[in-house]
Amino acid sequence: MVSKKLAIETLNAALATGGDYAEIYAEDTDSESVFLENGKVEACGRNKTYGCGIRILKGFQSVYGYTSDLSRKSMVGLATKLAARFDGNRAIEVKSIRKQKVKAVNKVQKHLYDVPVDEKIAYLKKCYAATASVDPRLVRIQDGFLLVSRSTEIYVAEGEEAVLTTNKEERSRLILSAIAKGEDNKIESSFSGPGTSSGWEYFESLDYEAEAKKIGQIAIQQLTAKECPSGKYTVVISNGWGGVLFHEACGHPLEASATSKKLSVFSESIGKQIASPIVSAWDDGTIENEWGSDNVDSEGVPTKKNELIRDGICVGFMVDRLSGRRLGMAPNGTARRQSYKFAPTSRMSNTYIAAGKDKPEDIIKDTPLGIYVANFGGGSVEPTTGQFNFSASEAYIIRDGKICEPVKGCTLIGTGQEVLMQIDRVGNDLALGQGNCGAASGLIPVNVGQPTIRLKEITVGGRGGKLE
Amino acid sequence: MNPQKFFEIAKAKGLSESQLMVSKSTSTNFSLFRHEVDEYEISDTTRVIAVGVYNGKMGVARSEELSLSSFEYLVDQIILGASKVEKEEIADLFEGSEKYHKRNVYNKKLAVIPVSEKMATLRALENKIYAVDERVAEVEAYYAERERSVYFGNSHGLKLNEKSNYFVIGASVVTKQGEETKTNYDGIVDADFSVVDVDKFSRHLVEEAVKKFGGETIESKKYPTVLSKEVASSFVGALLASAIAESVQRHSSFLEGKLNTKIASSKLTIEEKPLAKNIFFTYFDDEGVATQNKIVIKKGVLNTYFYNRETAKKDGVETTGNAALTGNKMGTSFGNVFVKPGRHSFEEMIAPIEEGVYITEVMGLGTGLNGSSGDFSCQAEGYMIRKGKVAEPITLITLSGNVLKMFKDLKDIDNETKLLPGGTTISNMYFKSLNIGGK
Repeated sequence: MVSKKLAIETLNAALATGGDYAEIYAEDTDSESVFLENGKVEACGRNKTYGCGIRILKGFQSVYGYTSDLSRKSMVGLATKLAARFDGNRAIEVKSIRKQKVKAVNKVQKHLYDVPVDEKIAYLKKCYAATASVDPRLVRIQDGFLLVSRSTEIYVAEGEEAVLTTNKEERSRLILSAIAKGEDNKIESSFSGPGTSSGWEYFESLDYEAEAKKIGQIAIQQLTAKECPSGKYTVVISNGWGGVLFHEACGHPLEASATSKKLSVFSESIGKQIASPIVSAWDDGTIENEWGSDNVDSEGVPTKKNELIRDGICVGFMVDRLSGRRLGMAPNGTARRQSYKFAPTSRMSNTYIAAGKDKPEDIIKDTPLGIYVANFGGGSVEPTTGQFNFSASEAYIIRDGKICEPVKGCTLIGTGQEVLMQIDRVGNDLALGQGNCGAASGLIPVNVGQPTIRLKEITVGGRGGKLE
Repeated sequence: MNPQKFFEIAKAKGLSESQLMVSKSTSTNFSLFRHEVDEYEISDTTRVIAVGVYNGKMGVARSEELSLSSFEYLVDQIILGASKVEKEEIADLFEGSEKYHKRNVYNKKLAVIPVSEKMATLRALENKIYAVDERVAEVEAYYAERERSVYFGNSHGLKLNEKSNYFVIGASVVTKQGEETKTNYDGIVDADFSVVDVDKFSRHLVEEAVKKFGGETIESKKYPTVLSKEVASSFVGALLASAIAESVQRHSSFLEGKLNTKIASSKLTIEEKPLAKNIFFTYFDDEGVATQNKIVIKKGVLNTYFYNRETAKKDGVETTGNAALTGNKMGTSFGNVFVKPGRHSFEEMIAPIEEGVYITEVMGLGTGLNGSSGDFSCQAEGYMIRKGKVAEPITLITLSGNVLKMFKDLKDIDNETKLLPGGTTISNMYFKSLNIGGK
């Protein structure tokens, strides 16, 4: 994409006015999508994302620019325009480039693009058949693949010798969605989206038929589910995707982009108790082939396993380079971005609450009356106040220690500070779930995760009146 | 790069028809934090979307490179995609509308105002926000400007061009009182820079934040509910999204079978006006069809669905000019929505409410709303309404209901309309009753 000679020229143009850091992030990404509607191919195509982003830092100041034109004129022109935002004298002259080797976290056995489209279509047709076999009331079934193959070159200059990190990663996701229509034209839907940073081998080992059947069953079950009650209740949250609670309520407020500007409820929390003592949590971008893992982050820093909470005490943040300068902390491989069209910032990768000691069945057994959330649709948080909300896509009432009737329209709300202290049971069944997280640097793949946990009391919103 | 080259390559490789859209965008964004330029960003990008018909099926491919080799790539990908499509319908491309309502919405004045002047306005805004109230703890002020030119052409010889620009100026404020933190955000979107009133904007932004101090949750029950225009626009968006013909035809819309029937209160009239002269103006859709203004809901009756050429053909009607390329297919979208205002002011509208709630903010509607069924449940905050007047703040409550049912219960709309950054011109709405979850 960008030759070393052009990189040196561009970096020097960027550093001409006193910048103390310059970076080029060049990308060439091919993405492929195949979508079926009720078992028939509706759309199939490939798209190319191609361009570069240039960033200059000077102290706490940052300027960023991007272009889809990788010619010399365009890149040096952009760097010069950006440098014009500062009015100092050159402090760094880049003379050479050293290549940094990065250990591969994501290892691909069977490249996604080597698998013929027909094989992917055949796979999706089997998924469709499995969902459709569940019930004739499933009126709309959509199955799809989203595949991405991304090559990046990251040049980072902080001195005479700039560092080049090249990387190639593949990521793919299976999209399963079902819509059921019942009496009185009642409509319910269900979704599942298993994803990976490995190759096609992931899908070969995935029990896709079970996954496809399950979404059909959930959509049908929701047709007759009662409305969720509202009020304050004990809530047990299932493992895996249930971790979106931690992601929203605590993960975002622990991103240095928020804490470094004192815009997070946890800005001053390092060393302080922010969670119940049975809670420990990590953000780990190095889990092999996981959906949220990267070999290297968007600033050329190799990914790491970062401890966030130890026995309830806040011990770390996710730190990107610019926020790190404000905090006096080193970047820890968590700067991420959707594409060259976004400046990088601190983001989550695979973020989870560590496993505890309880058996999940005991947690349910010890709950006389409450709500069991088996799956969430998603949620959001306001990091400054800590207020979060998330909506369940599959939930049940717990009565006398047993999971009973399903309910729908269940939303949990609260603040991150409160909910972390409310965790009174942590299971031993840690699992991860795949999602996409949207924030300042775009939409990025993340894993959320947790074992089964119990919240002593949380506000539940629904239309079903009081729980009795 | 001459687009004609694309049509030549497409023809040579066996596409019976082809279409090319090239959009070139430039942007300038900057933000201030604690009186320093915190972020400054400029961009210059090209987006190419190619559509073609191969053996009667449609393929779509995208690239960000405008070159001969990228034209070759796009045509190859169209063929690969189209040859896998299993739709029964024979695809074709559009020859052109009889008349197009082109108008110039590009604001030359905005383009020539120097960045330094825009920066100075943003600095004045930041300073003013700090000065409004001593409880203001942090301010993030930002400015974003975008210019876009679109070329549309197809192998039938249809050629269309559009050029537009706009800016957004906005700020988020963090206010603190004791242990309590309250935030607020507001923004102005326009092409005419002279509309920015720094004093008015700053006062309103801070006042809305500090009014929220001391908010508490309330008892769970049904309340007469007033939604601010910003909140109401999310629900109007969900209602209109269900009028997209593709969802209706695929049995996944709650508006299936509801054409020409009363779906909402007589107070509700909604128009889509792509030809209205504002920054959301557009005179052709992604198939090259001339757009048209239309009444979608008239006094509660659903007048039309939103169509592209394919879904219109299925229903035996004319396209409404709402085609939009989404992913690798021709989909449907809508924009520039106008909700007809009522006669009362906000104060007059809420005067009859003995006890109710006024919701000014919702969170989590993105995942809390089921687009197919219309059921929703989300976090909300706002104020109590007591004896016809806005009273104490309320927070950490949930709002839940069903989109279709709620618009049947629409009691009144006030006359305080505003064009929101999302492209909806709307006023505050009063609903007979909605479920509020609290204690």
